[in-house]
This record gives sequence, structure tokens and C-alpha cells, in this order.
Amino acid sequence: MILNLKPIMKELKLIALALLMCGTLFAQDLTLKVNTEPITLKIGESVQLMAAVVDSKGNKVSGREYLFYSRDARALSVVDSTGYATAVKHGEYSVVVISPNPDGGRLRANIKVTIAPAALAKIEIGEVPTKIYAGVTFPLDIKVYDKAGFERPEITVKLTSSNEKIVKPAPFNKVIAVAEGKSTITASVDGVTTKLDLNIIENPIAKIELTTDMTEGRSGDVFTLKAVAKDKNGKVVTDAPINYSFSGESYDVSAAPSGMMTKEGKFVADQPGLYVLNATSGPAAASVTVSAAKRNVSRKIEQVGRGSVNTKHTSDLWIWEGVDGKDYAVTGTWGADGTAYFWDVTNPAALVLIDSVKVDARTVNDVKVSEDGTVCVISREGASNRKNGLVIIDVKNPRDVSIISEFSENLTGGVHNVFIYKKHVYALSAGRKYYSINIEDPKNPKIVGEFELDTPGHSIHDVWIDNGIAYSSNWDDGVQLVDVGNGIAGGSPSNPVQFASYAYPSGSNHAAFPYKDKKTGKFYVILGDEEFPYGLDPDGRKPGRAAGYLHVIDFSDLNNPKEVAWFQVPFAGSHNYWIEDDILYAAFYNAGVRVVDLSGELLGDLNRQGREIAWIVPEDPDGYVKNAPFTWGAQPYKGHIFYSDWNSGLWSAKLEPVVPKNAEVQTK
Amino acid sequence: MRSLLLIFLVSLSSICVGQNYYIYVTAESEDEVALIKFDGKEAVVEKTIPVGVWPAEIEGPHGINVSPDGKYWYLSLAHGNPYGTLYKYSTETNEVVGTVELGLFPASLQISEATGLLYCVNFNLHGDMVPSTVSVVDPEEMIEVQRIETGVMPHGSRISPDGMHHYSVGMMSGELFEINTLRLKVDRVLKLDGEEKKEMGEMASTGGMAGMDHSKMNHGQMDHSKMNHGSMNHEKMFHSKVKPTWVIPHPTNNKVYVAGNGSDEILEVDLDKWEITNRLKTGKAPYNVDISPDGKYLVATYKGSGETGVWDLSKNKELARVKNTRKVSHGVTISSDSKYAFISVEGIGGEPGTMDVIDLKKAAKVASVDMGKQAGGIIFWKQE
Repeated sequence: MILNLKPIMKELKLIALALLMCGTLFAQDLTLKVNTEPITLKIGESVQLMAAVVDSKGNKVSGREYLFYSRDARALSVVDSTGYATAVKHGEYSVVVISPNPDGGRLRANIKVTIAPAALAKIEIGEVPTKIYAGVTFPLDIKVYDKAGFERPEITVKLTSSNEKIVKPAPFNKVIAVAEGKSTITASVDGVTTKLDLNIIENPIAKIELTTDMTEGRSGDVFTLKAVAKDKNGKVVTDAPINYSFSGESYDVSAAPSGMMTKEGKFVADQPGLYVLNATSGPAAASVTVSAAKRNVSRKIEQVGRGSVNTKHTSDLWIWEGVDGKDYAVTGTWGADGTAYFWDVTNPAALVLIDSVKVDARTVNDVKVSEDGTVCVISREGASNRKNGLVIIDVKNPRDVSIISEFSENLTGGVHNVFIYKKHVYALSAGRKYYSINIEDPKNPKIVGEFELDTPGHSIHDVWIDNGIAYSSNWDDGVQLVDVGNGIAGGSPSNPVQFASYAYPSGSNHAAFPYKDKKTGKFYVILGDEEFPYGLDPDGRKPGRAAGYLHVIDFSDLNNPKEVAWFQVPFAGSHNYWIEDDILYAAFYNAGVRVVDLSGELLGDLNRQGREIAWIVPEDPDGYVKNAPFTWGAQPYKGHIFYSDWNSGLWSAKLEPVVPKNAEVQTK
Repeated sequence: MRSLLLIFLVSLSSICVGQNYYIYVTAESEDEVALIKFDGKEAVVEKTIPVGVWPAEIEGPHGINVSPDGKYWYLSLAHGNPYGTLYKYSTETNEVVGTVELGLFPASLQISEATGLLYCVNFNLHGDMVPSTVSVVDPEEMIEVQRIETGVMPHGSRISPDGMHHYSVGMMSGELFEINTLRLKVDRVLKLDGEEKKEMGEMASTGGMAGMDHSKMNHGQMDHSKMNHGSMNHEKMFHSKVKPTWVIPHPTNNKVYVAGNGSDEILEVDLDKWEITNRLKTGKAPYNVDISPDGKYLVATYKGSGETGVWDLSKNKELARVKNTRKVSHGVTISSDSKYAFISVEGIGGEPGTMDVIDLKKAAKVASVDMGKQAGGIIFWKQE
């Protein structure tokens, strides 16, 4: 190799000069000096934090600028330019100090600050029952606050009684009413005390009469207890505190008895067995014995047909009866080329691809068809011009579908889910809200209303309309029930009115489906999680695994919805689902389709109760990801189950209609 | 003498050996990042890194940058519930080493060498037309230190050569923002649609930002459900005609260059005068811009025409307009030796994304490689 050394020598000179300059600067050996002595503040106190850049001789370098920031600004506020710090809440914190070097780079240091907790100020004891019967144990709701106003849950309070023969403290802030009489409970810690006078009255309860609405049932059936407390004269004690419990033995020697008893006296057995249900109130007790037989709802399920899509991911599906009386399906695609596929599914054993549309998008996440089977709406994400919106398609002839219009007003950020109800499309916008869009003239859709929460950081994932009520799934904010034409709250598509909601702690609410049980009259909304705690396969080609489950919320009292039951599949997670004729058809991603008996009152762990009727997993060795079931959604339709799978396309299955009595059925 | 020898060796190695260029490119509709190697002739995807945690939701990797020491790369995932997330990856292992939640649709980002802090615009691409913010993050701790309110749809997060100023543009409000990276405050705002310049002090008194004092509003706490957006006259809302989408400071001349995506021009802004001093007519819809480290070349992607413009800044002349491999040209980054520009090209629908390589001296495309869909954020990592 022959080198032209002229440019090299020129560069050498420049580099040498630069290095010599750097050497001079580094020789200054600058240090950022900050407070090194422990800094302890009381709440409300302020301190000027010190920072100075010094040279190797300890001389302060002038002209330096500093940035201070607190790692927890809500507890220790710091003025960024001056380092003036104010203590807000007790704890140990640190402040970062940064000083840029004029020639590049920076000096950085930390200052530790301890904020001492304020002295304790008060102990509060929550309300206790006005009448406390001897023989009853009850909890105290105790809260400790300091003089800065912070609750101090880490503080343990000591409870003492002025007369332990009347009232005796017990661990975990419980109190035992031992006998009739008066006593004072004193809660104390660090010189702060609070007293609670208790008047224990004679327990009038001489006996409990306990009955149950049935003595024989099945696992998953709810036994409702009725406990009536009576005094020695046979008079009913209406305010008797009743505690319910159960014990039992399993019919299967290899299984432990298990179930759930509510505070209200509702019992459900998970495991078939003989159960003793108890009611106690002080010294009085009663029990009844019930039998929970095997639920025995398993049915055979058979794969009937399939329409393979293995060159791209498949998203949602919708099955409908066309205007010609035949049956059709539309499926979306995900992370691909913006295609939606149309299928003739009249013969569920032969799913025939009959047409497709391709729009400027990467994902057609959702697909829906109008009640009259004439119009299909698909959602768009990943449009090349970043104006996503939705596309309205004429599906009167599903063999020759055509785009009627595209609509992106206020929907440019991407439409993840849509629903069609009575000539209106309900379309999510950028995961923040949904719009109601009039499509009476599908060529000219018009926004007529919108619904958006006002909570900080609100977001939305799905909306489903049934009987004029929109059920939107709003992650942390849970499900929102909104009147868009039902009339229950005076709402309409142009004036959506929210009238009920329920949120649960995980914040994973991704889907919702209403269900009214005709026998019990109970109105449930089943909320589905979407969770992926296991992350992605680093190579991107292995099966995914989800988590999360279905939450059953009893909305019979709209003002007081209550989570009563759940359905979970181990090592899998819920996605989209459908309910028809007391049966739940739920896609559980890597666990395929799960068919679940919802009949009767719902309480507790539905899967452990043996309510699962059948399951089927779409495994495809030729799938987009091979043998990697990832089921998106399921829809029962005219006696079949249709389901879409992310890696393999559209499938159909048949659930055997008759359950042979006491038969053991193997499902696959 | 020994030191001179060392200098000679260092210099020799940089001249003779540095033929491989490494670039990180995001695939926004694939939830992937591609690490691409270009050896002077051919570009190949060395590694594909899946990003995010939700296999069945697109999380949208958008902005990407490498720490000044080259040890980490930072990635904004735009979509969340609703907030996006900043990820920190090791360049050695390409594994996640930290995350922090930012605002709505976090996008372009860069670390200041002066403060060591990272500045990331919260683009809020899909939200209401309200001012958004720049998140300031301590990348050592992965803590969000501050959010600084700027304009509507802020984009193009780039830092001045001395690290003391951050520049971004409000795409829909048509504003150029200068943030003091140490004081964490907006120093200056320049209305790019022709209104007179305003210092921040004047803004409040004259009701800047299209007549609204957004600084007094807490948009996150507003009850939008009570607003009737359908009846609002959105046409009367101010939408910038310039529609700036990017700003890049020049390494030496104390100017910044703004991509006027709506007006098909590059605006030259003199930082001393704080005014537009030149307008360079470009191809259709310039989107991202970079300037070569030697200050000679400005390279701008023309999103609307699928081209890239190579400009000689000494003459303010467009040397060439290079056709990109696909439509929807997106990002640009230039190698540290000022020889090559690397262009991310989104493509449409199911097309793959592409990274094109342009030889700046020849002003011609010399290599191309396909990657995941919607190639977007792009950053040069190293040459070795």
C-alpha cells in the first residue's frame, strides 16, 4: 500500500495541537465539590445546597454554572439553578448536581439529604358498630398521622384495654368483646394516644337458624345461605353480626376440597365434595351440609374448517349473514400490508377466500359489519401519510367488495377498534377517546359526537355497543358504560352520557362484553385483561405468551358494581371474546379458544369450578410463526365457532351439542 | 517522541482502517431496530433487535440516538397507554438497561454533552392541537427531570455544538424553540410563519402562541369530555404553513436550519440575530435534516417526493436530488467523517423499510438495504 503522507502530516499536526491543548486543560484537575457532611432537614425547612468547581489547589473556579435536580422532587424540591432545597416529605433523598465544562463534558456529583419524619400527631380509629355483642371479634381501622399531615402506615400502635375481662386486644388491630360491660381501648405510640370507649352488651343471640337455597348442586353453583339469629325468646336479632365459613371433603381423594365463601353467606365449591357451611355469631353457631357434584359440562369440540393465512399476521374477525342469505366472514391483518380478507363461510367446513381489499396501512386491527350486512368498516394503522382513520366498504356482494369512502377526520392518529351500531360507527382515536360517526350516507361520514374521559393519563382500547349502551375498555379507568341511545341516561350518538363504571387495580382492561343471565336476572359485564409480562422473543420467531384473565363484574346495581368472579387460564392471557346463550367463547392467545359455561349465578374461580366446557388450540405447522397459536378472537355463529389466529388465519369449529350424562369427554 | 509516535498511529488508524460504518435504524411498523453495517460498498443488516413488550400491539419505535460516548443507544417508543417510553440499550449487547415513561408520543431525542441530560420531544402526533413538551431525562438514572412546554407537535430534538442549547420546532404552531439545556427553560421562540420574533417575557404579555397563554393551562387536567369538538371551528385554528418538522444546528456558523415541510424550503436561522436569514427552496415536503460534521453539506429528506437533497452550504446550492429506493423518505444521519449520508425510507403498506447510503462527494446513492417496515428514526453510531 502506498500512502500519500501529505494529508497525514497535516492531520498529525492538528491532532498534536489538540492533544496538547487538552493536556493543558486536564492538568487543571477540576473537581466538583458539594456538601459532604450529612444534611438533615425537618419538613418545611430549606437549605442552600453547596456546589463549587475547584482546581487542584482547591481554588474555586469562577464562571461555572450549575444545575441541581432532586431525584424525588415531590419529596425534596430543589430550585434547579440555585440549589435551594426545601424538605416536603420524610425519607432519604439525593440531589444531582451538574456543571458543564466550557470545553466539553461536565462534572457531576450527588448530595444526600435526609428529611426527618415529623413527630406523630394523632391516631385515628375508624367507626365501630354502635352495638357490640359479647363474644364477637371485630377489627379496628387505625390510622396514624404525623404533624406534617402524612399518614404513617409503618407505625405499629399498641392497644391496651382498661378491662380485659370486658374487651381484649388481639393481634392485627383486632378486638375481642369478651363479656358485657364497659371498657376503654387505648391506642398509643410515641406518646400519642387515642381512646375508644366501648360498651359491650349482652349477646342476645341464643341460636342461629341456618338454611340454604339448595343442598345439592354442582361445583360452580352458588349456595346462598340465610342465617337468622334469635334470642332466647325466639325473637329475631336483626343486627346480629354473622360470620360465615366452610369446611369440607372432596369426592376425589386426590384433590383437596376448595371453594369460596363470601361475607354475605354465598358459597361456591371449586372441587366437587361434601361441604359443611357454618354461620357463627359469638357463641351461637349453626351449620348445614351441602353436596357439590361434578359440574360435568365438558363437551367435545371438533375443528371443522380453516382458511389459512400464513404470509402475514391475522387480526380480528366478523361473521355475518349477507344480503343474499349466505354467510360471510371478514378478517383483518396485522403489521402487514393493509389487507382485509373476505370469506364465504356458508359451509364452515370449507372456508373460501372470495375477495380482499388493500388500503394504505400496515395494520387493519379491527373489522365490523353493519347489522343489515351491507357495510363493513375496517380500521387503519400505519398509513404512509400518517392519516389513518377508517375505511367504509360496500359488502352487499362480498365477492366483489368496493371501498365507499375513507374517513380520517380527527382519526389520523390511528383507529385501533371500531363498532357499528344503528348507522353509526364508533371509532377509537389514537387510544384517547372515541367518536360517533353517522354513516347513513356512507360516502359522507360525519362526526356527531365523542366520548373522552377527563382523568389524568386516560386512554382507551376498545368500544362495544349493545342495546344502545357503549362499553368502552379504558385500561386503568376500567369499563365505562355510556348511553348512546339506550335511553337509560338520556344519551344518544351525538350526546353520549356515561352512567356507570368499574375499574380494577391491574389497569389492564382491554375488552368488555355485557351479559344478562335470564335465570338469575343478574347483569354482568365481563372485562378482559391484556398483558404481556413475558416480553418478546429476542429473535422474534418463537411463540408469544400472554397473561391476564377475565373479570366478571356484577353490574346489577349500577351504582355499586362488584367484582364477583374470574376466569383464568394458567400461563396464557385473554384477548377478545363473545357470549351467547350463557356460554362464553374466549380467545386466550397462546391457549386458543376456551368455551365456558356461564349459566347461573357467577362467583369465584370459574375455571377451577369446572365450568370450562371445551377448548381448542389452532396449531399450524405451516403458520406465519410455526406451531405458535395466538388466538385473537372468537365468534359463535349459527351453531359453529369461528375464530381468528394471529399466526394462522381463520378457523371454524363445532361444539358437540349434547352432553352425555356423567360421561367423561376428552377435549383437544 | 513517544507521544508523537502514538499520535501518528492514531492518525494512521483513522485514515486507513475506518471503513465500516454502523447505523441504528428504527422500523416503526415492525417494532424493530436494525443495526446496519456499511463497508463503503455494501450495506447489510447486522442485527435486528425486537423492541417493546407487546407482541400484538405496535409500540412504534420512533426516535433514536447514541450517547456521546457510544456506549448506549436510546429509543423512544411512541405508543403507550397513553404515554410513550424511553428505552436505554447497551450498544455492546443491544439489551435494555433502563426505561422511563415520558409524555404523549415521545419522538426525536439527543443527549447534551454539556449537561449529560437527554432531551426528547413529546410529539403528541395523535392528540389534540395543544402545546406539548420536551422531556428532560437524566440518562444515567433514567429519571425524567423536567418537562418543558413548547409548541404544538414538537419535533426535531437537536443540541447545539456546545451542548448548551436545545432546538426543536412546533410542527403545527410553526415555531422554533431554543431551550437552555442547563436552566431547563425556553429562552427564545421564533415564529416561522412570518410573525415577529418574541422573547419569552413578551409572550405572556402579548398573549403569544396564537393568542393563548398555554403556560397557564394544565391541558392534562382539562375535561375534554365536556368540550364539543364536533362543533368547534377547527379551520380557524392556527395551522402553520411552514409546518416545520426538523431543526439542525450547524457545527460552526451559529445558525440552525429548519425543514419547512409545508412550505418546501429549508429556513436558515441566524442565532445571533434570531431571525430567518435565508430560505432554500427544496423538493416536496422536506422532513429531516442533518449537516455533515465538517459543516460543508446539508442533507434533507424530501418526504413528499421520495428524494433526498444534498446541499453545499458554502454556496447554499443543491448539488443533487437523489431518488430514494422507495417512497416516503424519512430520516437522515451523516457519518463522522462527513463522507456518507444514511437515509431511512419508510415505504408504503407492506413494503419493507429501506436504508439508502449516499456518497456526499459524488452526491449519489451508492448502497441500499431493506429492513423492517416503516424505517424511521436513524442515527450513525460509529466508524471502525
